[in-house]
Amino acid sequence: MTTVQVPPARLRSGARVAWLVVALVALLAVAVVSLGIGAHPIAPEDVLRALFAPSDTANDSVVRHIRAPRALLAIGVGAALGVAGVLVQVISRNPLAEPGVLGVTTGAGFAITVGSAMGAAASAVGELALAVVGGVLATVVVFAVGWGSPLRLVLTGVALSSVLSGLSLGLRLLLPDVFDAYRFWAVGSLAGREQAPMLVPLLAIAAALVGSALLSRQLNALALGETVARSLGANVSRVRAGALVLITVLAGAATAVAGPILFVGLIVPHLARRAAGGSVPWLVAYAAVIGPVLLLVSDVGSRVLLPTGEVPVAFVTAFLGGPVLIWAVRRYGAAPL
Amino acid sequence: MRVPRSARIAGALVLAALAAGCGSGPGEPAAPAGATRVFTADNGDITIPVSPKRVVATGYAVPALMEANAPLVGISTWRRGLPMMTPEIRATYDRLAKVAGESAAETNYEAIAQLEPDLIVIGVPKPVLADIDIARLRAIAPVVAIGPSLPSAWRDLSRRQADAAGALATFDTIRDAYQTKTKALAAKYAGVLPGLKFAHLGAYGEIANGNFQREFNGSWGTNVAQDLGANYYGQVKVRGGGSKDVSEYPSIEELPTAFAEAEVITYTVNADGSNPKGVQYVLDSPLWKGLPAVKAGKAFPLRYTEATTYGSAMATADAVDKALAPLLTS
Repeated sequence: MTTVQVPPARLRSGARVAWLVVALVALLAVAVVSLGIGAHPIAPEDVLRALFAPSDTANDSVVRHIRAPRALLAIGVGAALGVAGVLVQVISRNPLAEPGVLGVTTGAGFAITVGSAMGAAASAVGELALAVVGGVLATVVVFAVGWGSPLRLVLTGVALSSVLSGLSLGLRLLLPDVFDAYRFWAVGSLAGREQAPMLVPLLAIAAALVGSALLSRQLNALALGETVARSLGANVSRVRAGALVLITVLAGAATAVAGPILFVGLIVPHLARRAAGGSVPWLVAYAAVIGPVLLLVSDVGSRVLLPTGEVPVAFVTAFLGGPVLIWAVRRYGAAPL
Repeated sequence: MRVPRSARIAGALVLAALAAGCGSGPGEPAAPAGATRVFTADNGDITIPVSPKRVVATGYAVPALMEANAPLVGISTWRRGLPMMTPEIRATYDRLAKVAGESAAETNYEAIAQLEPDLIVIGVPKPVLADIDIARLRAIAPVVAIGPSLPSAWRDLSRRQADAAGALATFDTIRDAYQTKTKALAAKYAGVLPGLKFAHLGAYGEIANGNFQREFNGSWGTNVAQDLGANYYGQVKVRGGGSKDVSEYPSIEELPTAFAEAEVITYTVNADGSNPKGVQYVLDSPLWKGLPAVKAGKAFPLRYTEATTYGSAMATADAVDKALAPLLTS
């Protein structure tokens, strides 16, 4: 009997593909389950009929007009936050970094606060535009001041976030109506967003995910340190600038459509890191699948945890995120970036 | 600002009562100076002046006592009621010293003391009383707390507030006018409303939680329409106390089942006719468009649903009359 000797590298690659397939199957399963769970359960066959042979029944309407857009939003936002988390941890070489550290979230919140005070946040489109503009402007300021070293970038982001948070808080305390408007946006949630204009943000997220995949090979070199990256021929400044732009688009679009959901960007890279085995391209691929799985599971949890109604999904991600992060670190150790 | 016709009538009634010189009304002999009585309030049996001369009001007592022409010297702000105030009452509101903000925690104790009141009427819900230093206020003047419970209880609560402030005469004049108006409107709709099942969509659904507010009999959006004969069928699944005994917040997914039996749906709109965010969210949903009442063209917007006084409720009654008029011809 002859045995086939498989080279180790191919074995690793095969395992990675297998894990990715498992993650994709899990994503599909969770997505279908999320379409059947809500204020009242809908049987899987009714879910499929609503998707592929819809009639005008209430159940079909609920699946097509509320749960399906919500699941799509969870997939887009989860992928965006997960991949943004990978990028920010790689370029900052900091395992505790998350997309909000660059000021995107607080910038968006500050813009919503100021916009509400000026009466510009009355509609969903207005809120979306303000969140995008605020997130982008905050990130530009962080880039401009903190450019040069990952540490300076992170510190600038933290400092700017503190300043903007303080100003936002002052405005909200002075103006109760602004407080109300901000309160609705600030609870990161996928509920009630099905009517918001999602096409442009989701297209932006899709484009940025493709960009992240393309950039990930060069980030592989950057993850080894600037000196090594340069010796391997990588243009460090260009790679870092590209990553920062992608982080801004991913986190900005996700925050604009769903509000701040903080824990996903931190935890997803840790969940994906072991399987990726130090490869940034695989890390990006896993994060793009695990992020949606985590957010969909959290979203289903947000619908069923309380008998009195839903809780915002950001509460569930925070509730799940802490224990899961501790479990991941204890189970696998702090894998290198 | 455009003021509802019925609100102007309420203002005229206040002026008429004033012109009649009824600081204490017919049959109400003036009490001797310094005379006191015991008044039962949320905070116990309180000894108060029979005819207070300098009253401070907060919360729901503000619109009630301004309308009843009580001898006010200071009030809390009451922004939510501004669209329903007559020019006369708005002038009173603007003139009076503001001693507290929209929330009880914003009470300015020093400002109240400077006004030297002989009575303080607090119109906030019982749980909110914990935000107020009652002992500190009691050191200034007798304090009576008469706060809202069920939304429809404003009729009784506002009368008790007016009674404490010695302003029942004007109050009763306006109440009688309201009752006359609603009786006439109830007669007008007697052949239509009692046979219909009503449902109401309130303004306070939380979009971030994906829910909507359904109001039943006795709630803000329904209690005046009930005086005209409307019946908002059903009841809350779980009684939560106060307004949650008569309104609930189901998921938007439950809209088709919640309103399935409704033959007529009313929904709250702002004073200027625009839709509150929580209402707009529901109106834009495909589930709303599939409701039987909506398909039948029997979904009607209601303005002025936040009335807490008889004067402002007359504007609400007019708004209900205007909204439901198509039912008379259909």
